[in-house]
Amino acid sequence: MSTPCIGGREILKVEGLSAGYGPLRVLHDLDLSVHAGERVGIVGLNGHGKSTLFLAIAGLTGWQRGSIRLNGVEVGGTRSQGPGRYTHRVVKLGLALMPQGDEIFQGLTVEEHLDSGAFTSRAWRERGERKKRVLEIFPPLEKLMKTPVGRLSGGERRMVSLGRGLMAEASLFLVDEPSLGLAPKISKSVINALMSVELGDAAMVIAEQNVSLLQGRVTRLIGMHVGKLKGEASAASRSRPEV
Amino acid sequence: MEWPSILLSGITLAAIYGLLAIGISITWSSLGMVNMAYGLTFAGAGYGAWMMAEQFSESGMLVIAAGIVTGAVIGVIVCLIAFIPIHDKPNFNVRGLIATLAISLIGTQLLLMAFGPQAKTLPSLFGDWQWELGEELVLTADKVGTLLSSLLLLGLTLAWMKGSRRGLEIRAMMMNPYGAAICGIGVRSTGIYVMAITGALAGLGAVLLCQTYFVSPFSGLTPMIKGVSVALCGGLGSVSGALIAACILGLTEALTTAYLGGQYVLITQFIVIIIVLLIRPRGIAGMLDKAREA
Repeated sequence: MSTPCIGGREILKVEGLSAGYGPLRVLHDLDLSVHAGERVGIVGLNGHGKSTLFLAIAGLTGWQRGSIRLNGVEVGGTRSQGPGRYTHRVVKLGLALMPQGDEIFQGLTVEEHLDSGAFTSRAWRERGERKKRVLEIFPPLEKLMKTPVGRLSGGERRMVSLGRGLMAEASLFLVDEPSLGLAPKISKSVINALMSVELGDAAMVIAEQNVSLLQGRVTRLIGMHVGKLKGEASAASRSRPEV
Repeated sequence: MEWPSILLSGITLAAIYGLLAIGISITWSSLGMVNMAYGLTFAGAGYGAWMMAEQFSESGMLVIAAGIVTGAVIGVIVCLIAFIPIHDKPNFNVRGLIATLAISLIGTQLLLMAFGPQAKTLPSLFGDWQWELGEELVLTADKVGTLLSSLLLLGLTLAWMKGSRRGLEIRAMMMNPYGAAICGIGVRSTGIYVMAITGALAGLGAVLLCQTYFVSPFSGLTPMIKGVSVALCGGLGSVSGALIAACILGLTEALTTAYLGGQYVLITQFIVIIIVLLIRPRGIAGMLDKAREA
């Protein structure tokens, strides 16, 4: 796949990535490259591997092989078991994954959640400022800082989960289905919030089923179909990506 | 025995059971491991305290500290052998159970070989003063000391879990290990903290209980069984539930000893546990399936 060079440094380079769970193979020799400053949308139907791609980058799939370079450091390789064993190292290298289904901690308060997203020691030291920045992006959380997350609504939980990711000192944000299970109005505001995040030297990849939410607002749109990335549309083109 | 003193000995026992049960509960919910080696930690910590008393000093503080440190060290050793190599392999729950059980059996044999089968006694840790509050209620030093030291260590542990970064990591792992991994919390390093902390709790429990009982290679078995059942009764994964269950079972034990006789203690305790679990299968304050929690 040819990648338009935007001039920023290459943050993520995936080559020949295959991954799956047990006998099931979800990703088939997939290549992807993401540069600094880019906001990339990956669209495709359920079960075609969008989440698996993200999980493979974080080392959370059942098995995987192929090269994944994050900020120039190899984090992929061949692995047959042990999902999650090296995830904390990948996070340290600058990955923030906002997972599908939020994966929040029921009993912790919103504030503790945001703290737990600040994993590197620098992020931990600056967590006060970082929290302030997250609250600017998601103002409704301000009043809920001391509330246990188990009591929040679906939309508020999504904000907490995304905010936790934004707390990290990351150069690659992977956002998995930010609109999943939310009312159209709320999902629009969540997407707007994500678009308002200033990337600077970082990059963001958003997986979505709802193409119209992303169309025209991301640098590139890539379609995903049965474990392969197919077709690509730049932001300028109005045409639906070939999915 | 009259009511006030029954209450007092019930609470003292509850403090010791609470130490053990909270350790088991935290280990289970954060690491997904039923730590069968807890009895070994218990017995080993007793021997650590005994060696301190025998070789260096009989000062109560030092003996307690020796017990706590030995417990923490054994906890870390168990973690290095039984948790870190296998925690990400399939079916870890069962594997961990068997691995810790194996360590427990091997370690108990080693203790038997090293120290022989005779039971050892610890010196009295808190002096031997008494304080008569009334005709029936006599506060003895070991009861007050047991209560205060276990409350102190428990309070410190809970405050540390509430206030520090490592504590936040442990609590995050207790609630959602998968989410914790996504946040970059390393399972293995957190496992070492958890096992050291719970080992230290078991160590204190061992030193305190050895005031009444003896240090022997097999002395950890009954406390471990009681600890596991108190943790189950309180609901695995819940600190407050474990405390409530410890109080109920401590009182049951004190009441049984006073009115029926010591030989009925295990019987009544387990009847109470079974009744609680029949009425409330997830334990007194156990967490439901995470999806249903709200």
